[in-house]
Amino acid sequence: MGRNVYRRAVAVYSAAILAVLHAPLVVLIAYSFNDSRINAAWSGFTWKWYVSLFGNERVLEALGNSLYIAAMSTVIAALLGVPAAVWLHRRRQRALWSGLFYLPQLMPDIFMGLALLILFSRLEIPLGKWTVIAAHVTFCIPVVVLFVLARLSGIGRELEEAAYDLGATPRQTFFRVTLPLLLPAIVSAMLLSFTMSLDDFVITFFVAGPESTTLPLYIYGLVKRGVSPEVNALSALMVAVTILLLAVAELVRRRGETPARAVQPKRKET
Amino acid sequence: MGKWSFARPLSAVSLVMVLALLLAGCGGGSKQTLNVFSWTDNFDEEVLKEFERQFDAKINYNTYSSNEELLAKLQAGDSQYDIIQPSDYMVATMIQLGLLEKLNKDNIPNAANIVPTFSAPPFDPTGEYSIVYTWGVTGIAYNKKYVTDVIDSWEDLWNPAYKGKVVLLDDPREVIGMALIKNGFSNSTQNPDELRKAVEDLKALVPNVLAFDTDNIKQKFIAEEVWIGTLWSGDAAFVQAENPDVEFVIPKEGATIWADTIAIPKGARNKELAEKFINYLFEPEVSAKNFESIGYGDPNEKARPYHSEEYLSNKTIFTSEEDLARTEWLTDVGDMLEEYDRYWTELTSGH
Repeated sequence: MGRNVYRRAVAVYSAAILAVLHAPLVVLIAYSFNDSRINAAWSGFTWKWYVSLFGNERVLEALGNSLYIAAMSTVIAALLGVPAAVWLHRRRQRALWSGLFYLPQLMPDIFMGLALLILFSRLEIPLGKWTVIAAHVTFCIPVVVLFVLARLSGIGRELEEAAYDLGATPRQTFFRVTLPLLLPAIVSAMLLSFTMSLDDFVITFFVAGPESTTLPLYIYGLVKRGVSPEVNALSALMVAVTILLLAVAELVRRRGETPARAVQPKRKET
Repeated sequence: MGKWSFARPLSAVSLVMVLALLLAGCGGGSKQTLNVFSWTDNFDEEVLKEFERQFDAKINYNTYSSNEELLAKLQAGDSQYDIIQPSDYMVATMIQLGLLEKLNKDNIPNAANIVPTFSAPPFDPTGEYSIVYTWGVTGIAYNKKYVTDVIDSWEDLWNPAYKGKVVLLDDPREVIGMALIKNGFSNSTQNPDELRKAVEDLKALVPNVLAFDTDNIKQKFIAEEVWIGTLWSGDAAFVQAENPDVEFVIPKEGATIWADTIAIPKGARNKELAEKFINYLFEPEVSAKNFESIGYGDPNEKARPYHSEEYLSNKTIFTSEEDLARTEWLTDVGDMLEEYDRYWTELTSGH
């Protein structure tokens, strides 16, 4: 009996926390369907803000910038991060080295943004799309390294050793054995990086130049003229895309884990 | 696993990269580019497109959200912008810091179309660096359903009948400036006694104030949470479109005026095209279309014939010459700014 009450209390408590966490998003999304231009009163259901959103050239341009920057920084982060993780995996003082890789991710965004701005302006690199991409790569690499390292520890060395035993060169082993096994981790890291790049405001704010107004920067700029429900609609779409990408990333990651375990059921824990 | 299991995604990834690089590469072409750094929704889209057609140019429209952000980007060095839109006080700061190019008025004959009131404002006394673009006045907005007395003076905000229904802008210079004007002083006084008197006066008003608000003040008027308060004319026009019971007046004692200007930053790559752009914006027909679309008062005198009746009769966006004569710009108060800020903290600490 007492246990039952306790359980119910915990359930109510958890529900309350969830409600507090998600209420702002629910309100934001609900008002994107509001017929009135102001957020103060509900005056009926409409899709019109979603329609006008896609007729707004500035929004589409910002969306294009955001997608381009996210795609480029994700691909570059993967190309740089995977070799780094493979190298790290073979090092002895892995903790120290991987700490260095994670540091940019753990630093407050505002320091990273400021530091990058100072760096670019010292090197006289003109601010623009490529400075934003370079900045986003700095926080995407740690994600790739983290995911790939975890996967590398998960798959162990047995399969690589077996490949060597069967006469594969190191190159063949890497491309035919290691990399395919890492692929799920790489894909999920890339999807996560993509959403992080899409959502970033603070760092982008510092290093953006011409042709690099991303969606978050655009939305922030709207505050001066009054936020219209178009922005609610836009934010609702971004929330939906983020959730979708995160779900896909998680699915890919989980799928990747199963075959690896099946191949080597007697793997030693190291 | 087949031989291709990895090669395929790899080639897909490289294909995407190549495509992306190709996309990045083209688009430039032989067209000239004009990098515009401005507030959001500050131009009519059609007007921008027509410029691109007429001058065979490509406009990159980038946005910022505060003058300080604009200043920071310019100070970071080679910003690559050709057109910027700093507000009045920021123009003065930028001139002082040497961040603005002098405008070559020979290339901007339409600059002469601007109302004389705006030709040499105190923030750019020679008018060499900037041209007033959007502008507005801080007046009193009130809802006539609840406020039935005649409203024509700042004194009316102090009326005890409106206790708890008054809203003020969340801005020290605007609010203290208002109290200074009410007491017959300059809104940018550097005289400590005048400042103290105005603040004492405000202390009597504070208990009646529901909120100090800038970002959500429009919603408060539309939803009728407040009956009366200070409001920018641009915002007032927005509120009136949603709630026709809201009236807007410029009080008889006078009011504060502000402007966002159009200017060219030092080191602009394409100064000549930028000047063509400014000139184009102030062509009578173009500015009529542009300002009706963005909903601010057109500073272009020659554009009057091209404006609709409805626009010209909108007293809120289109402050009359008579009201305009009573307005005053906020100017730099030097070291007194600390006093303003200290008093402001004192006034708002209860809220």
